[in-house]
Amino acid sequence: MRSGIFAGLLLATVSATAAFAQGAPIKLANVAELSGGGATVGNNWKNGIDLAIEEVNAKGGLLGRKLEVTHADSQSNPGVARAQVQKALDNEPYVLLGPGYSGSVKVTSPLAAEAGIAQIMGGEAAELTQGGNKFLFRTSFGQQSSMPKVAKYINDELKAKSVAIVWVNNDFGKGGRDVITKEFAKYNIKVAADISTEAGQADFAADVSKIKAAAPDVVFVYVNEEESARMLKELKRQAITVPLVGETTLVGQKVVELAGDAANGARGHVGLTTDAPVDLVKAFREKFVKKYNYVPDHNGLKGYLAIYMIKATTEKMGKVDSKAFADNLHGLTIKAASEPGILMDVTFDEKGDIDRQGFLVEIVEGKQVVKQVLPKLN
Amino acid sequence: MTATGKYLRIALGVAVIAALIIVPMNFNRYGLYILSQWAVMTIAAMGLNLTLGYAGQVSLAQGAFVGIGAYAAAIMTTQGMPLVAALAVAIVLCFAIGWILGYPALRVQHHYLAFVTLAFSTLAFLIFRNEDWLTKGIYGISNIPRPNVLGFATNRPLPFYYFCLGSLGIVSLAMWWLIRSPWGRAFVALRENPVRALSLGIDTRRYTLMAFAIGSALGGVAGTLYAPLTQYIDPVPFNLSLSLDLLMMVIVGGSGFFFGPFLGAMIAVLLPEWLRFTQGYYLMLYAVAVILLLIYSPTGILGILDRYLAERRTKAASALRAVAKSRLETAP
Repeated sequence: MRSGIFAGLLLATVSATAAFAQGAPIKLANVAELSGGGATVGNNWKNGIDLAIEEVNAKGGLLGRKLEVTHADSQSNPGVARAQVQKALDNEPYVLLGPGYSGSVKVTSPLAAEAGIAQIMGGEAAELTQGGNKFLFRTSFGQQSSMPKVAKYINDELKAKSVAIVWVNNDFGKGGRDVITKEFAKYNIKVAADISTEAGQADFAADVSKIKAAAPDVVFVYVNEEESARMLKELKRQAITVPLVGETTLVGQKVVELAGDAANGARGHVGLTTDAPVDLVKAFREKFVKKYNYVPDHNGLKGYLAIYMIKATTEKMGKVDSKAFADNLHGLTIKAASEPGILMDVTFDEKGDIDRQGFLVEIVEGKQVVKQVLPKLN
Repeated sequence: MTATGKYLRIALGVAVIAALIIVPMNFNRYGLYILSQWAVMTIAAMGLNLTLGYAGQVSLAQGAFVGIGAYAAAIMTTQGMPLVAALAVAIVLCFAIGWILGYPALRVQHHYLAFVTLAFSTLAFLIFRNEDWLTKGIYGISNIPRPNVLGFATNRPLPFYYFCLGSLGIVSLAMWWLIRSPWGRAFVALRENPVRALSLGIDTRRYTLMAFAIGSALGGVAGTLYAPLTQYIDPVPFNLSLSLDLLMMVIVGGSGFFFGPFLGAMIAVLLPEWLRFTQGYYLMLYAVAVILLLIYSPTGILGILDRYLAERRTKAASALRAVAKSRLETAP
């Protein structure tokens, strides 16, 4: 018995020593919504991460070391997310990935900051990066950068004087609604109807009747993909013909598939989409579909990009240094020409927000057509 | 019960308490967080055990009471008030609401009552989410401070765990006393046979309301601990699934047994964590384990123990009877 314990200890010591040697894997930890209300978000994010890690490792890894990731399920519950992030941080990962829900990001980001470990997450709520956290990074536009573009488009191009806002009552929908309402106020656009809907809502007849009664110049729809499709169908059924404007979730491929004809004419601002007219994005989409047999939403792209953010930053530093990571990612510009995995040129500012090109698209005969490319700011 | 049996039980109790105090000293932050969560959920489940296990009233609103307590704590402590004040508010509020919610229990029973409490649960969730001015709605309340207890800061995980454990200890003692008091007996009488209880002069109306109110107040106590534990709350954790979880804890542990909620919360909080090594399958395995357990023993884990003890007692009694009988037969 005793010799068995000794052997075990010896083995543990040997493997621990080996872990410090050059060539040991770099540990990453992902905490995401793998079950519960955010399961679509979390699983897309996870698959994106796995795909990117597979690619990096197939090409010899990062600075000659393999990447390794552990996935933990937050059950879409902030309390559980906190426990899982705590667990992940106790194992001292190089970088923390996730979560995707803004509430879960809020509860976990102080922990990562305290541990001095960079956190690359999927949350889009505006306030996440405004609290001065030096370790938190986005993978997509925050609502504070996407919504002003949408409001500007509604004002400048569509010349709307009044608008109906339809939003889903969770942190994603409410966040977007609050930001765009302020933007509309700047342009003196009247909010004729302010309609909150539930995640998973099946019937929008009553909501659309309210829109009809309010007779706005434009309807702004900010709900998830499935609900967007149902909403579009109901809008068509009740013969509402004013322009329908939204964000990524209104004009995605999934919405087109579900809504069919009703999706035609819908337009929106898109930050990350697998329909982007960019060759690298198209190639990503093909790889993803080949591996997982479905077309990812923007969360799949976000997870994929997170890994390439790590790769580019680490290669810039020339070493694996978890403490210096956040400092080096701040202010970094990653060019797709030198790091194809990043798909589109991107710059990270001091707050951890991103700057990247965006698109204004419209659905024409069941296809996403890019009407305007909104260039990167810097 | 024999004297040795009694000492054995006391020794076991002391050993478990000592283990709960000493063993976690070496735990990492994650382990301490999970154990604190266990203590908090045990308190909530104890409240439900009183309502369901002792008084026999099915409630699907316990999660809502945890939410009320958590919001009371979050709102008040982020405004600089002490947690004790929040605790008092939570207890009074949950007691009062529980009392009012108990009224339908006087008229409807079992699944009808479950529907009434389910409606309340949904109502509470909608209030947490839609009343932005009070609860900050879907954005939730962040930076909830952890309290100073008797001059000790509980910001670190270990002191906060002791704070939760201490609270659990106090609640357990109070509950122990309660179910052995005439009130506790009245609750059981209510569950077993309300008509007979009434004929014995027990004010069934008052005791039904009381069981609901006290059970709900304990939910509130758990909530006031939950808020500083996670330090951030939003409405989602307090939806119906928490009420169902708590109901499951009570039933799996053994409804109507004093230690049922302790075991039930352990299964509900710790088992999924232990099963996490199975990656995507852990929730499925957890569900299967719970189903199998309830098929094997509908009265929960403590039901198994109870059955075993009852069998042993029966065996012992029949052995005694057999001996007595043979003596009678051999007697001249």
